[in-house]
Amino acid sequence: MSLLRLEHVGRDYDMGHVTVQALRDVSMTVERGEMVAIVGPSGSGKTTMMSIIGCLDRPTSGRYELDGRDVGALDDGALADIRSRTIGFVFQSYNLLPGTTALDNVATPLLYQGVPRRERQARAAAALERLGLGERLRHEPTELSGGEQQRVALARALVTNPALVLADEPTGNLPQHQGAEVLRLFQGLHEAGNTILLITHNPEVAAAAQRQIHLLDGAVAGEERAA
Amino acid sequence: MSALELVRLALSRLRRARVRAALTMLGVVIGVGSVVGLVSVGRGTTARITAQLNSLGTNLLTISPSGGGGDTLTLDDATAIAALDGLAAVAPEIQTQGAVATSATNTTSTSIVGTSAQYAQVRAYDVWQGTFLSPVEVEASLRSVVLGASVATNLGLGADSVGSNVTIEGIPFQVVGILQPKGGSGFNNPDDQVLIPLGTVSKYFVGGTGVRAIGVSVADGVDMQSMKDSISELLRVRHGIGATDTDDFQIFDQTQLLQAASTISDTLTLLLGGIASIALVVGGIGIMNIMLVSVRERTREIGIRKALGARGRDILSQFLIEAVTLSLLGGLIGVVAGLLVSAVIGRLAGWGFIFDPATLVVATAFSLAVGVVFGVWPARQAARLDPVVALRYE
Repeated sequence: MSLLRLEHVGRDYDMGHVTVQALRDVSMTVERGEMVAIVGPSGSGKTTMMSIIGCLDRPTSGRYELDGRDVGALDDGALADIRSRTIGFVFQSYNLLPGTTALDNVATPLLYQGVPRRERQARAAAALERLGLGERLRHEPTELSGGEQQRVALARALVTNPALVLADEPTGNLPQHQGAEVLRLFQGLHEAGNTILLITHNPEVAAAAQRQIHLLDGAVAGEERAA
Repeated sequence: MSALELVRLALSRLRRARVRAALTMLGVVIGVGSVVGLVSVGRGTTARITAQLNSLGTNLLTISPSGGGGDTLTLDDATAIAALDGLAAVAPEIQTQGAVATSATNTTSTSIVGTSAQYAQVRAYDVWQGTFLSPVEVEASLRSVVLGASVATNLGLGADSVGSNVTIEGIPFQVVGILQPKGGSGFNNPDDQVLIPLGTVSKYFVGGTGVRAIGVSVADGVDMQSMKDSISELLRVRHGIGATDTDDFQIFDQTQLLQAASTISDTLTLLLGGIASIALVVGGIGIMNIMLVSVRERTREIGIRKALGARGRDILSQFLIEAVTLSLLGGLIGVVAGLLVSAVIGRLAGWGFIFDPATLVVATAFSLAVGVVFGVWPARQAARLDPVVALRYE
């Protein structure tokens, strides 16, 4: 069974007198353990894709199955539950909680799973140490470099052992060498068996993936597989 | 998420925005503080009124003439009342006005009250120096006098003047005692009078047998109302008042006055508390205002939390607990401030510090309610945010 399957998915935004079709008739599947990139220029519907795949939003038409469950049929609470247990998000702008230490940031997803405090902190510390941030546990986001912040975000995405890591332009705000480092981290995770979905406009980033799905004007424009 | 986690989250958030949290709490501090302060000042007033009324004499019934008839109440009535069961003491009072002097130049005008030896008991006077009028002195209508505290002060008489002579309207009297002051001032000052035997008044100053009042002290354990009824019945028979006629006397029950006064004081306390609780409501609106601003400012944070798996109710509880923490903390500080203020006022006004644990409970419950009532709306706004929109919010 595929980890995720989109069948003729569409997403319309009602803007009063006009309806904007952000996604139309998108079908794709991602198998467990794959590393897939969704590539496209800005305005091609990448962000909408991420919202739907990440269960932050529901399709207006078509069917989206994640881990065998029909997402369109779930209520808000069940969606929150899926985000909590099945998905790890990495955002372009890191989206760390302001004024909160790296440790607490990474521990937050576990908070919403109801994990006890002591265990939360231990698992968060372990996740940060794996990403080489063992010295930065008590630092707040403003005290960290962009690369370090993105590694904190990555640790936060991984701390729950999610079935799917969903990264939206993970290197977009980073200088090149830090971006390359983050990409290597993703590849390492992929090799360790994680399923990774990269969303990017950058062909170089997309090239790190096994498979690229091109998006244009809200529709799949093609697919290529790395040699 | 457990309540403990939420409180921890709220506290860490409030620590990060200390100044704002302190200013927001200030509204509740002032609200709760003034409620607690004013209510406890009100209770002090009530307690003081009660204490003053008690000092007039316990279980006191005062029988006085009514209907402008003048001398409808007589010494014989007093004697008849004294024969009733259930009375601890009876003191008829005849009053006139006169000058008391130690010399031609040292003189003061005061009330001259003729009464029995039981007067001190009925009216709850304590003797400061010497003794009160003895039954023997009253029986023999001697020229003995007991001075009220103000009169003694006005004449410059101290402790050593017991046994010395004063003149009342030119007639020499021997001072047998001086009373403890009761406090009070102006009209009906209970310390501005001299007391002499009942018979002495009619012998030297006023003719007739009419009395101003008969003070009666009801024995412990005897019902005031039934005592009142038996006295009333006795007097109606003695005065030949028909079943449909109105009384020519009135019986005044001190507890009535006491109840009336404390009712007024309680009403005032309620009124003051009510006015002060307006401040509490304003404080609550302050919390709501700041929470709404906070939800807007932290829209992105809410989006992130939702992406990380927070449910709507997690966000709702987080913001609600934050508001409740603000109002509860403010409430506790307000209680302490209010108690301090009322302790200071109580000390200055002389009724001491009155602490009622109920105030603490009520104030805490109210600040909790304020936090919930004014925190729910902002918290719902936060919980309802669409995560996609919230994540994009700049």
